[in-house]
Amino acid sequence: MMRPRRSELHTLAGAYALDAVSGADRARFERHLAGCRACARELQELREATISLAAGATEQPPSRLIERTVAAAARMPQLPPVAISPPAWAGARRWLERRGLRLSQAMTTTLRSPRTRAVRPRLALALVIIFVAATAAAGLVALKVEHQFSAVQRRDQEITQVLNAPDAVMLTARISPAGTATIVLSRHDRALVFTTEGLPLLPHGRCYELWLMGPAGERSAGMLPAAHDGMTSPVFAAGLAAADWAGLTVEPDGGTAHPTSAPILMLNLATANA
Amino acid sequence: MAKGDEAAFEAVCVRVAAIVFGVARRVLRDPGLAEEVSQEVLLELWRCASRFRPGRGSAIAWVTTIAHRRAVDRVRSERRSAEREQRAGSHSIAYDEVVEMVEARLDRERVRRCLGSLTELQRESVTLAYYGGYTFQEAAALLGVPEGTVKTRMRDGLIRLRDCMGAE
Repeated sequence: MMRPRRSELHTLAGAYALDAVSGADRARFERHLAGCRACARELQELREATISLAAGATEQPPSRLIERTVAAAARMPQLPPVAISPPAWAGARRWLERRGLRLSQAMTTTLRSPRTRAVRPRLALALVIIFVAATAAAGLVALKVEHQFSAVQRRDQEITQVLNAPDAVMLTARISPAGTATIVLSRHDRALVFTTEGLPLLPHGRCYELWLMGPAGERSAGMLPAAHDGMTSPVFAAGLAAADWAGLTVEPDGGTAHPTSAPILMLNLATANA
Repeated sequence: MAKGDEAAFEAVCVRVAAIVFGVARRVLRDPGLAEEVSQEVLLELWRCASRFRPGRGSAIAWVTTIAHRRAVDRVRSERRSAEREQRAGSHSIAYDEVVEMVEARLDRERVRRCLGSLTELQRESVTLAYYGGYTFQEAAALLGVPEGTVKTRMRDGLIRLRDCMGAE
């Protein structure tokens, strides 16, 4: 009796992916799914196919939907923020002064009253932002990536690894004069993922460069890609050292070996101790 | 809640609202109901964000899965109460109307082209389920074919759709 019942359940995968299974059948299939890795894998593939069906239905909602939803979420409790300690701030300022770099007034204010936080449970929200940004930018082409091993896929794997690291923490910080940076980092992997939202567009020939700065010296962690809808796709940076800060500067296209302008973001990664 | 968090969540909402609302609207038809369900879905996203594991699929797949499941559960409960009230719950609107709405509003050329690459029965089965919110048993009755056939066509149709979207 087992075999026919199993194969019968197996053929339900398509209907289940379409939510066309209800009641007792749904429960039965979910029980089966819990113990069938092949089914789970197949279901995931079929689910990815339903994205295109969803994409075909895309429709702009009334703007009040987002306003109301954000307002409702705002009433849900949050964990307390973790602030940059005064000694750390003084250290950052000395570090900058030694290099003849000065912070803008707005940046100084941001550092003095940091809006930085390292809150473990909020991590997943950052993941959503990062992955939605990545997939939205790539559109449905993301589906294609699955079938070929490419640089993009390798990058996604590195990013996924950081995001899934058991010790991963998330930091958000304001960028001066505008924008927000979101960082997810894993000390264990000595790596971080960096993404931004709302950065001003730069004149032709200039771009944003990400830095890791600390006792180990300053290292370029790569150029930010062009923004889509105001968000930059995630940048993966490895080789993170214990006392590093993350910095962002505006540099000539192609980047430089050392920062040549005052950072518009200086973020103490040591605050990210979950 | 700190402003930064609000902004982060708002960014997520801005990014996924159109696909969430689109799915809900297509399944539920009524814009007010669709809005209500969309808000539930977005708040669920906020609440359950820690369940999300990127390795198990894209965020978009996760979001659309939640949105579709909610919309379908809602449309079924609406249909049940409508049937109770009217006792005339024939599914006469079914297939033609669903297809018409779908074809009139599918703005993505590629999705339409790929749906077109399915066999007629595959396309009908997939469309009735995903956009119409019908169970495979209901779809089988509407199409006048055995339930087993519809189940198979749904699975084959999704596989073909996936291959088509991936191949372009």
